[in-house]
Amino acid sequence: MSVVTQTDPLSQTTAAPPLPDILPPPKQRGRIMRFYVGHPAIAIGGLLIGIMVLIAVCAPLLGTVDPTALAPAKRTRPPSALYWFGTDMLGRDVYSRVIYGTRVSIVVGGAVALLASAIGMLIGLISGFTRWLDPIIMRIMDGMMSIPSVLLAIALVAFTRGSIQNVIIAITLAEVPRVARLVRGVVLSLRDQPYVEAAVTAGSRTPMIIWRHIMPNTLAPMTVQATYICASAMITEAILSFIGAGTPTTTPSWGNIMAEGRALWQVKPYIVFFPAVFLSITVLAVNLLGDGLRDALDPRLAKRL
Amino acid sequence: MIGYISRRVLATIPVMLIVAALVFSLLYFTPGDPAAIIAGDQASAEDLARIRTALGLDRPFLTRFGEWLWNVLHGDLGTSIFTNLPVSRLIGERLEPTISLMILTLVLSLMVAVPMGVIAAWKQGSLLDRAIMGFAVMGFSVPVFVVGYLLAYIFALQLEWLPVQGYTPLAQGFWPFLQHLILSSIALGTAYVALIARVTRATMLEVLSQDYVRTAKAKGLGQRAVLFVHALKNAAVPIVTVVGIGVAVLMGGAVVTESVFAIPGLGRLIVDAILRRDYPVIQGVVLLFSLTYVVVNLVVDLLYTVLDPRIRY
Repeated sequence: MSVVTQTDPLSQTTAAPPLPDILPPPKQRGRIMRFYVGHPAIAIGGLLIGIMVLIAVCAPLLGTVDPTALAPAKRTRPPSALYWFGTDMLGRDVYSRVIYGTRVSIVVGGAVALLASAIGMLIGLISGFTRWLDPIIMRIMDGMMSIPSVLLAIALVAFTRGSIQNVIIAITLAEVPRVARLVRGVVLSLRDQPYVEAAVTAGSRTPMIIWRHIMPNTLAPMTVQATYICASAMITEAILSFIGAGTPTTTPSWGNIMAEGRALWQVKPYIVFFPAVFLSITVLAVNLLGDGLRDALDPRLAKRL
Repeated sequence: MIGYISRRVLATIPVMLIVAALVFSLLYFTPGDPAAIIAGDQASAEDLARIRTALGLDRPFLTRFGEWLWNVLHGDLGTSIFTNLPVSRLIGERLEPTISLMILTLVLSLMVAVPMGVIAAWKQGSLLDRAIMGFAVMGFSVPVFVVGYLLAYIFALQLEWLPVQGYTPLAQGFWPFLQHLILSSIALGTAYVALIARVTRATMLEVLSQDYVRTAKAKGLGQRAVLFVHALKNAAVPIVTVVGIGVAVLMGGAVVTESVFAIPGLGRLIVDAILRRDYPVIQGVVLLFSLTYVVVNLVVDLLYTVLDPRIRY
């Protein structure tokens, strides 16, 4: 773990005297630029995600019309200067729908990544620190991981009324076990480290040990894991919406735009094409960011994968 | 050896029980009255009562789970609420297309992915390596239905080389069977190939830096012998592991692929069941997929001892 510097309890009490300021001030901008040049995956991925977030936030300002406005007289128009991505079989503007659909993917990806990380972290910490609970929790996690995550999410949403909230909950539940295993692994590998034992001997309480010594070490692998979860959540949301079990049709999402374009895809392929391109680019961007972060945060892992 | 195998097989029984319990209780993770959600908004009181009895919602949880498990062990997965047919029969009718699709995808993917990973590792840093790794990132990012539509659009609609959609049973001849499945297999396999190629490359890189590979090269063995006999054999365990884990990706993808290519398999069955809220069918298909996944990974575990004789438990 190269990114996290360990703070042992002793250094807290005896602060080192400040070093004389003899070094030239670091050229902050140059360093940031060099970091991005050295890690093009982070730069490209981050930039594309930034654009997508911007599109999601500024959707009403991007020349869109009401994405749910029906215009039966203007059904299935091909892309043109007026309808950039054409219109669907109900005459709705595909461009506006795709732009507004960005919101669903960004929200679902972000929310699932955060929620799954938080819940998985909690479960992993409990499991790693409570010996008698550990086998029980881990067997349940194994069981959940034995159900292919897309199918688990499908089964969960099948029994709720379709809403973005329920989609987020379902995908989160399907992703939690992987985070829990990761965190538990880190906890187990650290619990016997000399500096943790020293902290225990010095009388640190368990919450303090977790906060000071364990959590910082989970940060790097968790960040990488969270980006991959974000990417897979976006794909799962699109799959759920595509098969008609996800985001309700009243809210345009890339998955349900494609689902509605499905009946006509042989004659009007553009209805499926544009959301597909947006979805692919966004997921690609998140995966690039994940790969870049993995290489930057954990060089050992980078060599292995 | 036999002791090990039987111990491993026995060890999967608790996992299977937990999976069964999870699949059974999925219904109760969701808020609200399951019967009301299944019945929909226009349901009458009789409908609700009928569904409640059909699902056994009027009896205690453990009793129901016990009964359900007993029935499942006897091959009875319950009765479809929508069609009133036994779930096991509905599943049986849909097995062939899904099994064919998965096996064809598995075979094609392995044939492509392993050589890709080996070549990428051999030519590490070259343009070819970068191209393969670029494909791996792409393959993992482009969702299966996007690949499916793209392939169908190019090869079926534009070039008219292959049928657009549908499925022909193997009994009607191998060629029509293959023609209908090939595009869906490639679409379904893309993410799988990406996954396997990545792991193959990473493992091969590690193995190629070992002393015995240097020795093999030094004693004048040909490149192919070094790569495929000395190196790949020692890289087999991680590759086989990811092949097993990746089956989950295939199963999730199959649901979508079957929708895109109108293949009447288990994926279509579960999608139709979701739209009709036919819970016993959803439960049955999810259970079948999950248990298959457990068995696949058990087989992978057992393969370890064959692939690497040093592994002894």
